[in-house]
Amino acid sequence: MYWVSVFTEAGIFAILALGLDMVWGWSGDFDLAFYGYLAIGSYMTFVLSIGKPTPPVEYIIGWHLPVLIAIPLAVVVVVGLAAVVGAIALRNLRGIYFAVTTLGAVSALYLLVENYTPLFDGYNGVYGLINPGQSALNLTYNGYRIFFLVIVLVLLFLSYLLVQRLSRSPFGRMVRSVREDERAAAAYGRQVFFTKYRAYLFGAALAGLTGGLFAIFISAFNPSAWTPQELLLIYAAILIGGRGNPRGVILGVFVVYIGFIELTRYLPSPASRPDFGPALRQVLIGLLIILMLRFRPEGVFRERPGLDTERGPAGRPRPGWVEALATAAKGTAVPPASQRAAARRRAGE
Amino acid sequence: MNTFLVTVGVGLATAAILALSALAFTLEYAVSRIANFAHGEFLTIGAYVAYSTQAIFHQNVAAAAVIAAVAGAVSGLLLNVLVIEQFRGRSAITVLIATLGVALIVQNVLTMIYGAANVSYSFAQGSLHHVGPFLWTTSDIEVILSALAIAGLSYLLLQRTRFGKAIRAVSQDRALAQVSGIPARRIVMGTWILAGAVAGFAGFALAATIGTFGPLLGFNFLLLTITATVAGGLGRPYATLGGALIVGLAIQIAGTYTSSAYELVFAFLLLVLLMLFRPNGVFVQRSSVTVRA
Repeated sequence: MYWVSVFTEAGIFAILALGLDMVWGWSGDFDLAFYGYLAIGSYMTFVLSIGKPTPPVEYIIGWHLPVLIAIPLAVVVVVGLAAVVGAIALRNLRGIYFAVTTLGAVSALYLLVENYTPLFDGYNGVYGLINPGQSALNLTYNGYRIFFLVIVLVLLFLSYLLVQRLSRSPFGRMVRSVREDERAAAAYGRQVFFTKYRAYLFGAALAGLTGGLFAIFISAFNPSAWTPQELLLIYAAILIGGRGNPRGVILGVFVVYIGFIELTRYLPSPASRPDFGPALRQVLIGLLIILMLRFRPEGVFRERPGLDTERGPAGRPRPGWVEALATAAKGTAVPPASQRAAARRRAGE
Repeated sequence: MNTFLVTVGVGLATAAILALSALAFTLEYAVSRIANFAHGEFLTIGAYVAYSTQAIFHQNVAAAAVIAAVAGAVSGLLLNVLVIEQFRGRSAITVLIATLGVALIVQNVLTMIYGAANVSYSFAQGSLHHVGPFLWTTSDIEVILSALAIAGLSYLLLQRTRFGKAIRAVSQDRALAQVSGIPARRIVMGTWILAGAVAGFAGFALAATIGTFGPLLGFNFLLLTITATVAGGLGRPYATLGGALIVGLAIQIAGTYTSSAYELVFAFLLLVLLMLFRPNGVFVQRSSVTVRA
């Protein structure tokens, strides 16, 4: 049962990472508000499906919808929120200005949710969504958990297919072309803002879906579940898997997530200091991010070039690493400089 | 007692700390062209080191302040050498993510050492004083006076010394400064030490003013710092002081007339408005071009 829960959580985060990769990997924007979309998706799923609050608990809406309807509605709300944030942050802010604006937006949202209790009961948060549909499906508690894992993995696979297809589509190429050079893309008639905006909303929709799944998975949600630090774990996973490569991203999440979960189990954690183990885990994540960025920014699996760039200008195949090594071994020219520049360009710099 | 004037007085004390923090942040940006998201950790480290050593110096406030500044200076040096310089030539956003990683590491190392719970100093807060129309504690007055002194000294340093001239040259064009015979690497390092010291002191002042603090002290202050810096204009030290004054007063006044829990919400709304309409600072003409960094 332990492994079922680990894989379920990793699967949920993998969907989130696919969404985040559209924003960061394809579009090149470092978005710190992203975890907020998961949070709002989760909150909305709760308040749409757990019925009226009993005082002193208070929250908005309080409908009693089945989760199959509540989650899509939650996604709609999340996309609406992302539409507002994106309209502000994407229009003409890039780089650190974009990152700062999204951090400001998510912090304002966080404080509002935490302090304004009529919204989602403030710091206490919302709870009470326990295995929706368990009796209808006639499953035991554990049976339901396994069923839910299968659902998550199926959704992950569907998201992967969708993202992979989008990535190869004209839309995916357009998003990347805007990332590589906005001015050139604009000169070729691409609408820079609108292209980025669509990728952003799509990513947010996936985050909203993740929020809904997360609501079912942990059956309670409060502000301590979505500090900005959580998002760094996802960024670390994408960095390791390889930005812009859906397969790499999914693998990265599973490796980082299960790797860290397993690692922290064997870490020394004195009973008198319950916060020691989790803190050490965060330190390792921080180190991982810095080292990856410094030494291998393109990740373990680099972004695969689109079909149109598979061949060089003269129709020659792109030199692979075998050729590059051979050239380097001959002691001729210095491929690393140009290659590193190319890799960096691919990494969105 | 006029509530509004008391609010303005508290706002001025907040603005003084904010001004120091923002001054350091903007200096870091000026010479390295990056947004240091581990900036808040300079403040936190300053506050914690002063906390650890307060018993040694018999609760002497001045000694604690100096210790905090030294700790911040060392952190600034280490961050510059171990991280920032390692990422030279990389995009600003890459360095931003790396410094965010540093922030995560520092916060959690502090949690491992001191625990996640809040700690507090054992200094005396001092009595209340009426200064003109304002109502300040002794420590408020000390903070405001030292902020004014540090701002003044920074001005003299930047305008009147060779080091300051070199900082200004490097911040305009590092390569050009280098070929003109300025040891750019050392100047950048020196700027980070200076910025770290100012930030470490600001962290001590912040912690002493609030009373209790935890490992997230500085990180929670980071966005306020950035808001103040952006209000003044990134990389413009003197305008930053004005920005801090605006932001400090604005959030204090807005917080007093609604609820102090929403102070930061106002700060972030202010930040978003600034980003939308005056991304280059309130003291320059509005420009319509896309802002990148």
